[in-house]
Amino acid sequence: MGVPGRTDDHRWSQQHLSHYVEGDLRPRARRRLDRHARDCVDCERGLRAMRALVYAVQGLNGLAGVRAPATIFDRVRAAGAGGSSSPRGA
Amino acid sequence: MTPPSRDERAPEPGATETPATVRAASDPAGTGPRATEASLVARAQAGDAGAFEQLSGAYADRLFMLLLRLLGDRAEAEDVAQEVMLRAWQGIAGFRGRSSYFTWLYRIAVNEANRALEKRARRPAGVSIGTRELQLPSSPADDPSRQAEVSELRLALGRALAELPPALRAAIVLRDVEGLSTQEAAEIAGVSQAALKSRLHQARLRVRAAVGDEALVTAGG
Repeated sequence: MGVPGRTDDHRWSQQHLSHYVEGDLRPRARRRLDRHARDCVDCERGLRAMRALVYAVQGLNGLAGVRAPATIFDRVRAAGAGGSSSPRGA
Repeated sequence: MTPPSRDERAPEPGATETPATVRAASDPAGTGPRATEASLVARAQAGDAGAFEQLSGAYADRLFMLLLRLLGDRAEAEDVAQEVMLRAWQGIAGFRGRSSYFTWLYRIAVNEANRALEKRARRPAGVSIGTRELQLPSSPADDPSRQAEVSELRLALGRALAELPPALRAAIVLRDVEGLSTQEAAEIAGVSQAALKSRLHQARLRVRAAVGDEALVTAGG
């Protein structure tokens, strides 16, 4: 039989890794996760993985040569050519 | 031409906002970027299509990238981008400047992307989202082995993002990829900040599960 509360702490910690990284946990909850992760290899690794995930997803940002198509205003121009050039309510 | 019907689920962003010109009042010289934007908004609201193109064109690349990430299909992103601009043009009279123009435009984009995804889901043979559009080449400054690891991780992230339900994908793209604040992302997604956070956490958990801790920790150094 496991230590009482340990399974609950583990499940709860796994569900709140993102909250932890985001800084969304109240101090008491943060201490709960800290305490558990000190003794839990999975959760300690999970925390590192979640930090790496956020960092990697943030790294997907950037335009890197992607440009909007030249046709992006075509419908606006067509609407103008069709006689309804003014925005509604103007 | 027949104007498209308004989206009942998403009221015109900014419909009850304070006039955009109010923003310029704090900069009487009219030299700041905000004043420039406010004057472009005012001109566009008066029917100046050139001002509208200048105003919206400043965000066109970023908006197109957002649509690529949400839709994962270049042709569809191009089509939706045109629709977003048309809707913005037709709705700009209702923009009152309570949120930034960028936030308002992005909200239209997310609504239109969701509409396109709903249409896609109703098609008999659903087109799966293209993972290539959800990731970018790695930095040329990285060494080759590192580049390979990062590239593999980006592919895996692209696949995982593509598998997310649209609402969760929008949350993680707006907040983590685009780097918007929770408040901005929530405004754009049309939900409360708490709901946005909840979606963000769910999205991260799913992406983590799909990619795996090993790949994340290894590539993350």
